[in-house]
Amino acid sequence: MIYLDNAATTQMFESAVDVYKKYACEKFFNPSAGYNKSLEITHEINDVRNLIKKILNVKSGDVIFTGGATESNNLAIMGNKRNGKWEYVFSQGEHPSVYNCAKELELQGYKVIIVPLDKNGEIDYNILKTVVNNRTRLISVIHVSNETGIINDLNKINEIRLNYAPNALLHVDGVQAFSKIPLNIEKFNIDFYTLSAHKFHGPKGVGALYVKNIEKLKNIIFGGGQENGYRSGTENVPGIMALKNAIENIDIEKNLELVSRLNDAFKLELKSFDLDNKISFIKAQSPYILSVSFKGVNGETIMRALQDKNIYVGTGSACSSKKLGNRVLESMGFDKNSIKSHIRVSFDYTQNIEEIKFAAKEIYFTYKDLWEKVK
Amino acid sequence: MKVLLLRFGELYLKGNNRKIFEGILVKNIEEALNGENFIFKKTFGRYVISNYEENNENILVDKLMKVFGLYSLSRAVEVNADIDEIKNEINKINCLNKSFKIFVKRADKSFPICSMELAKLLGEVVLKNNEGSIVDLYNPEKEIYIDIRLNKKAYVFSEIIKCQGGLPLGSSGQGLLLLSGGIDSPVSGYLIGKRGLKIDALHFHSYPYTSIEAKEKVVELAKKLRSYVGKFKLYVVSFTKVQEAIHMNCSSEYMITIMRRIMMRIAEKICLKNGLGAIITGESLGQVASQTMQSIMVTNNVLDKIPIFRPCIAMDKEDIIKIAESINTFKTSILPYEDCCTVFLPKNPVIRPTIEKAKKEESFLNIEILIQECLDSMEVINID
Repeated sequence: MIYLDNAATTQMFESAVDVYKKYACEKFFNPSAGYNKSLEITHEINDVRNLIKKILNVKSGDVIFTGGATESNNLAIMGNKRNGKWEYVFSQGEHPSVYNCAKELELQGYKVIIVPLDKNGEIDYNILKTVVNNRTRLISVIHVSNETGIINDLNKINEIRLNYAPNALLHVDGVQAFSKIPLNIEKFNIDFYTLSAHKFHGPKGVGALYVKNIEKLKNIIFGGGQENGYRSGTENVPGIMALKNAIENIDIEKNLELVSRLNDAFKLELKSFDLDNKISFIKAQSPYILSVSFKGVNGETIMRALQDKNIYVGTGSACSSKKLGNRVLESMGFDKNSIKSHIRVSFDYTQNIEEIKFAAKEIYFTYKDLWEKVK
Repeated sequence: MKVLLLRFGELYLKGNNRKIFEGILVKNIEEALNGENFIFKKTFGRYVISNYEENNENILVDKLMKVFGLYSLSRAVEVNADIDEIKNEINKINCLNKSFKIFVKRADKSFPICSMELAKLLGEVVLKNNEGSIVDLYNPEKEIYIDIRLNKKAYVFSEIIKCQGGLPLGSSGQGLLLLSGGIDSPVSGYLIGKRGLKIDALHFHSYPYTSIEAKEKVVELAKKLRSYVGKFKLYVVSFTKVQEAIHMNCSSEYMITIMRRIMMRIAEKICLKNGLGAIITGESLGQVASQTMQSIMVTNNVLDKIPIFRPCIAMDKEDIIKIAESINTFKTSILPYEDCCTVFLPKNPVIRPTIEKAKKEESFLNIEILIQECLDSMEVINID
């Protein structure tokens, strides 16, 4: 099997599975129980918070563990609802777990502004500048686009916030960025940052939200007061400890270089067959994700034909592939037919150049075969 | 004793065949209630189901309401056809401050009191027991029925629940339903089932142009249909190669016409092999290009051994949707998976095709081989 849908989820590390099992079967105590064994676990979880802060490159702030990125995004956004004439700003390129929070805020009567993407796929900074003001409560943007791999410039967004929206907090959905590209969250004054363990070989069902100033957030789940009251519910200790193991196994700089090579090799190989130029790529800064368009053939058809050859690619956000259309590509200005013809290839550093080249060749000939039939 | 009293409708019309029809209906009732404990009794003109668990009564009623050939049913109390026993039952009825009417039916003419007299007598009982009650023969708030049958039993009930009607499933033979993922074809399967035709179903998919989910959706639809039409076989045929061949060799405006003609040929072959006597489709006149009079004529032209039934032919989409909602298939039908008819969809499908032109287009294909390949790779799913 060649798995090229690593942006949807990744295979859990064996070592992370071992850790998971250890904390499920041996050190299974409830951190809130009060006896020494549970206290020990509380300390271990706190160490994971510090590790996450290290990767984020922040000295202060809190890390709240959640049930995954969707919950982290909900907490950051819905936990920022306040009375008064506050406004909320999002980009058109957001993952559904952010975008649908925006829609919900709107339904609840808040003023919500959705900023379009520019033709490069980044949030349109010029428009962002004009829609924020001193009533803006929250700006929420995706860091690395799950559809295209395009990276929003957090420096620019922070500048705009400082100059035009002094009261705004900044939330960044970093699901496709954390543990994949070097981060400097403190430098850009980011207030909230979302991450998810299963995107970097950790378990499903664990995520976290980094919070710069906890006073600014309100909890959205009510219960026993775990995570300082910001996320009640017994901590997912095995998941959190397995997340830690996954982080420890990752060398961001080295992996980034490896994946860049895979990405380059893939594009080169695919283009080497494509003599009449029917295949195109969306240029992106993250080498982990590559959006490829195949003229005249439905991306979903290619995806299905490839699965019969044991090659797995994505057709956009796995959470939304069943819905027609693609908001992100639409906002970048692609027409309907072109959007349909996209597949998403997402790499992992554990893969090697040979298998990637082999996959590229198979993908090309699968496409060519379909093109011949449908043209 | 609490019982369910069942009535059947059109069976009366069938003269000497009545025995056969009843035999099928009884078998279908027993099959529908398979897994439940109950005793089934026949009395002239009625069936009585008794000795079931009272907690399960609603489940039994739900199942019976889906049995074709049953006209109506009532939750009743069975007593001996004895005036005191009947009175005793009427004593229990709560009719405080309500208007009521008593309906007496006396199938057993040996019962000593005639219907009118009995109604009067029992009416007095109700009036005496229930303060503020009043007889209203035209618009009563409560209806009280007493049905005295030839088995020397009387049935007391206050409600008649309408069932499916129609003919017992299987009494008209067996056919093959072309089941797409859309709204109309499950409705057609239901409607034809109601006329007594048992069905198997045939689905064409175009993987990889259509998704596996699209096929799973059809299995889901088949399962929903099953609660009305009983167990059946779902034949699943990959139509991909046929569509590719048509797309490559034939004029695009005839794509759908040729597709339909080949589908019918495949359906006919499956029918002949499996003893199925008709093809059923969800077509509705004028709904799309392939459902015009001329298109239907050109499609029908490939068959000479099997009729095609189109129960939805004269129905508006709205009415089809109403039925789809009532048989619980609508929500599944509108799931957004492409089905095989939407792949290779030409921009301008021909609205008035001709047989000559269709034959000419088909001459560019090796139809027999294409059909054989479809049949060879056919999958059969048991919907039970």
